[in-house]
Amino acid sequence: MDRSPSALEPLFAFLSYALIQAELAFFKIPGSSVIARYVKSSHQNDPGRTVLEILLALFAIRTLLQSRTRADNGEKHFIQFSEKEIDELVDEWTPEPLGAPLTAEEQTDLASIPVVSGANGPRPKLVNTGKQVLNLASYNFTGLANNETIQERAIETLRKYGVGSCGPPGFYGTIDVHMDLERDIADFLGTEAAILYSQAFSTIPSVVSAFAKRGDIIVADRGVNFAIQKGMQISRSTIRWFDHNDLKSLEDVLLGIEKERRKRRGPLTRRFIITEGIFEKDGSISDLPKLIELKNKYKYRLVLDESISFGTVGRTGRGLTELYNVPAAQIDILLGSVANGLNAAGGFCAGSDIVVNHQRINGTSFVFSAAVPALLAVSASEGINILRNTPSILSTLQENIRAIRSVLERVDCITMPSHPASPIIHIHVRPPPAAHLSPRALPSTGSTKPSNPASPVPRDAPTFDIVAEERLLQEIVDEALSQGVWITRARRLRGQEVVEARPSIRLAVTAALSRKECERAAGVVKAAAVKVLAKRK
Amino acid sequence: MPSPIALTSAHRQESIFKKRSPSYITAMRSAQSYLIALSEADARARSRDSGSTSSAPTFSLTSSTTTSSQGTVTPDDPYDNSDGLAYPITPPTSEQIVFADHLQFGFCANESYRYKAAHKPGTPFIEQLEQDPPYYILLTTYLSYLFLICVGHIRDFFGKRFYPAFYRHLLPFDGYAPLNSDFDSFYTRRLKERMDDCFSAPVTGVPGRTIMLLDREREGYQYPFYPTGTKTRALNISSYNYLGFANSTGGCADAVEECIRLYGVSTCGARLEGGSSELHVTAEALVARFVGQEDALISSMGFATNSTIIPALVSKGCLLISDELNHASIRVGARLSSANVRMFKHNNMESLESLLREVISQGQPKTHRPWKKILLVVEGLYSMEGTLVNLPKIMELKKKYKFCLFVDEAHSIGAMGPNGRGVADYFGINPQSIDILMGTFTKSFGAAGGYVAGSKALIDRLRLRGHGSVYAESMTPPVLTQILASTASIMGVSSPSTLELTQHHPGPADPSQLPAWLDLPPSLRDGSEGRMRLRRLAFNARYLTRGLGKLGFITYGHTDSPIVPLLVFNPGKMSAFSRMMRARKTPVVVVVVAYPATPLITSRVRFCVSASHTKDDIDTILRGCDEIGDVLDLKHLPGERWSLERIMNNATELVNMEDN
Repeated sequence: MDRSPSALEPLFAFLSYALIQAELAFFKIPGSSVIARYVKSSHQNDPGRTVLEILLALFAIRTLLQSRTRADNGEKHFIQFSEKEIDELVDEWTPEPLGAPLTAEEQTDLASIPVVSGANGPRPKLVNTGKQVLNLASYNFTGLANNETIQERAIETLRKYGVGSCGPPGFYGTIDVHMDLERDIADFLGTEAAILYSQAFSTIPSVVSAFAKRGDIIVADRGVNFAIQKGMQISRSTIRWFDHNDLKSLEDVLLGIEKERRKRRGPLTRRFIITEGIFEKDGSISDLPKLIELKNKYKYRLVLDESISFGTVGRTGRGLTELYNVPAAQIDILLGSVANGLNAAGGFCAGSDIVVNHQRINGTSFVFSAAVPALLAVSASEGINILRNTPSILSTLQENIRAIRSVLERVDCITMPSHPASPIIHIHVRPPPAAHLSPRALPSTGSTKPSNPASPVPRDAPTFDIVAEERLLQEIVDEALSQGVWITRARRLRGQEVVEARPSIRLAVTAALSRKECERAAGVVKAAAVKVLAKRK
Repeated sequence: MPSPIALTSAHRQESIFKKRSPSYITAMRSAQSYLIALSEADARARSRDSGSTSSAPTFSLTSSTTTSSQGTVTPDDPYDNSDGLAYPITPPTSEQIVFADHLQFGFCANESYRYKAAHKPGTPFIEQLEQDPPYYILLTTYLSYLFLICVGHIRDFFGKRFYPAFYRHLLPFDGYAPLNSDFDSFYTRRLKERMDDCFSAPVTGVPGRTIMLLDREREGYQYPFYPTGTKTRALNISSYNYLGFANSTGGCADAVEECIRLYGVSTCGARLEGGSSELHVTAEALVARFVGQEDALISSMGFATNSTIIPALVSKGCLLISDELNHASIRVGARLSSANVRMFKHNNMESLESLLREVISQGQPKTHRPWKKILLVVEGLYSMEGTLVNLPKIMELKKKYKFCLFVDEAHSIGAMGPNGRGVADYFGINPQSIDILMGTFTKSFGAAGGYVAGSKALIDRLRLRGHGSVYAESMTPPVLTQILASTASIMGVSSPSTLELTQHHPGPADPSQLPAWLDLPPSLRDGSEGRMRLRRLAFNARYLTRGLGKLGFITYGHTDSPIVPLLVFNPGKMSAFSRMMRARKTPVVVVVVAYPATPLITSRVRFCVSASHTKDDIDTILRGCDEIGDVLDLKHLPGERWSLERIMNNATELVNMEDN
């Protein structure tokens, strides 16, 4: 006992020494004397305040240290259970099955999808019927699917590169043929650079979310395709909608946003206009020159999805830019499908070096996915070569589109919302005349109040019976198939799109069929439509 | 120019439009001038066609008449073996069959260099402990980052004032917000750019046992790369070519050639519209059989398989539990599904169980309604860690907590298990007790794309509800054929005498499941080569992991994992390691990964071994690591050390040692 004070003495000495040193060090910091004076005087005036301040500091430290993952336990909604209660709750819980089994209709629907036997092309043989059909269902716009030169080049590439790239582009998956294809696309369009993704559908969400972030503004067409919708969902940006293919509505929305920004004096954020060249949903075409005028006026960046229009319109298939003679470099972010337009696989994004290089690090589906197989990249490059050298393909395609439309335009019971130059032709069932007496006919004469830009649903949205119309369209499809013409309903994920698209049949015109065959096919579709729709009440 | 990536260099030299500089394009306001430019571009492209001489060192994209000589499979100089890669050290004898080009698939006839990897039934799952480095390594690593960040900020500070043109695209300009702010891109510009030569290296040819690098250089960090025109062949320990099916010759490639002649290169559309081929049906049936499920659905991109199928499985009111180190594709899918997402610590079963108890007892946030369903998403083999999922424990938890299980076998399918059927095969678990098996064909199969497999009812539901089958292009015939041929080779195809075996799960394929025209060579058809590849892969994986351990390196992951991450910690050592490996007499290309793909502190080198590597190749890598490890001070593992010679001479003993 008596030894302890002496044993502790060096400790006390050290403590007092350390205290003095700490004090000296503290006063060496510039401005420290001010703080010390403040603390002293505040303590003198009101000792309670010192206690309060210490508590505040402790509370701040505690809040900082609390990790985000533990926050759930601290929430007021958290209920404390004993282990036994948890076990009981676990026993009680009965989850739903992972996927509901298909209904009988869904099963028939799935079974009715035609499967191609052998090579797909303009006149494939189907497994379901065992017969050869005229194909207006597959995307083979310029007829590259059975091109022998492409096949030869693909085999040559196979013999040099194998099939798989076995790695993402960052880790030895960047093959010279990918770089060649990227350069070919950029050259073909006239942009500084391009970047190749390994699936067209995944390209768009990845590109949109690489640039648009939380707080940024996206102004999108109400009719954009599913991939763009998903991209906007991942980006978590603020989304404003304008009426489908209505640039007047776009200008109103842009003006509204500008006003709001001025009022709120918010910071300058990235702003994008996202729309499609040819809309996958109905085949209408955007007015590109006007779009560019608007985006320059309001200082937006234009994201144009040319998944359908690249490789199908313009003199040599360069897409909307060639159709309107607008330099592609004026479009900030130009997206396209190598799978649709060049009959290979993958998608691309073309733009300036800055736009493209940014994606090489920030495009999720570029960075985290294996690169396209070399032989498909070479096939696509060869496809561009063919389009370049044979502009006649595109004129044949346009002739075929005209031939088909001229037959179908004479049918009363259907409507075609697609643009006359669009290689995809959508066919809607014309509503029976009685429907015009319903209240939805009224707004066209009445109010002109614009739609709410925050909602994807337009004002006065057309109403239609999805199930009934789809059934009719499917009957037309089946009838045409029995006559040797393969067409398809435009498939949709019902309930998952932001706005339900009107059910339609989508014809994909190809340059590989002759004019005669196109007319015959259109005749069959016409007859099938007339036959099926005549029966309805 | 900030953030230049390697690839731009090629554009700069050869782009037609680029030659006139971007200002030409922006100046080209009128439609007339644009039209003229386009027709000029076409004319130039045509003249490039006719004149066969091309200055580009790359595989030129001209018409087939001029390139027939380039499509050959022989190495550039068949007699050059100065790098020791072209010929095996132990040459084959007259009775041994060499079935592949040694540069693509190494020749190794020594039957003792084989191993059959499987989890021993009844033994506990061994947790993979992560060894910490000494404190001075941690300290210097943090200091390195601190230093890099300080220097970066100083450069930004002065750069913005003295070279504003370089920063224009990072700052607001002309009423536009920057596409990428200087803050967001700081890491890329100031840290990654310094070692860009270790990433995105352009290559040519087959990513097999060796790979041909297209050499490139740059004047300084801020300049883009330009190709030097030379090539370097290097030993490839980086591609996901686990079973060595990335080949330009042999049975699979022959089948693919036949397929291109029969089917073309495109299926022209989505599965539910105009793009279903009989090959899809065939391949899906075979894949289902391969993984031991009732049915399978094939998607044309591996990343998209996760990002489009997960939203079809869970929705609002459901909970998705995800391992914290799950792949980006799973995270994208989870975000798209609008289900609630919770994470648990990487492969930590206690953390998972306590999370399960919490979420089931609490129910949905705020409302406390029970969850509609809970989907646990784990990976079979983690691509950055090399850790193997603790599947036995998860199956136990699954029984108790009734959640649905989704196993992403992107890396493990084909690479793990005595029959190559993935983690379920490795642990001897019935695959049908797992609800959804997902995997990709990019890796072991040498193809592309991915699949999900499960019960018939569930897969049919996904066929209709998955985003991909409605909106995405379907898989192309050549890729499907590569999958068919490689899967059949791993399984073997049953002959009439062994037909009854096909009823059991890890059995051979039924001949009726393959297209009639698919003619596999006998060694692939009977599965002997497939088995050999699996056993070579297992040997190589174990040998490299244990060899590195005995040399004193800190590695992560499971002993049987073909992914072997070697920890280097300091960011500076990462690029040094990569460059030194490439500069050796036998060049080796390695993948280096750092923050943000890994935690800040644990920068690593990632080896992906393959069945195509020979024991000599692994020796080469061990020797390289040994020498570089001494220079860079990387050997920090406590425990017994062996000399390099001892490791190389006792490889078989090392591989066959039991885990302790």
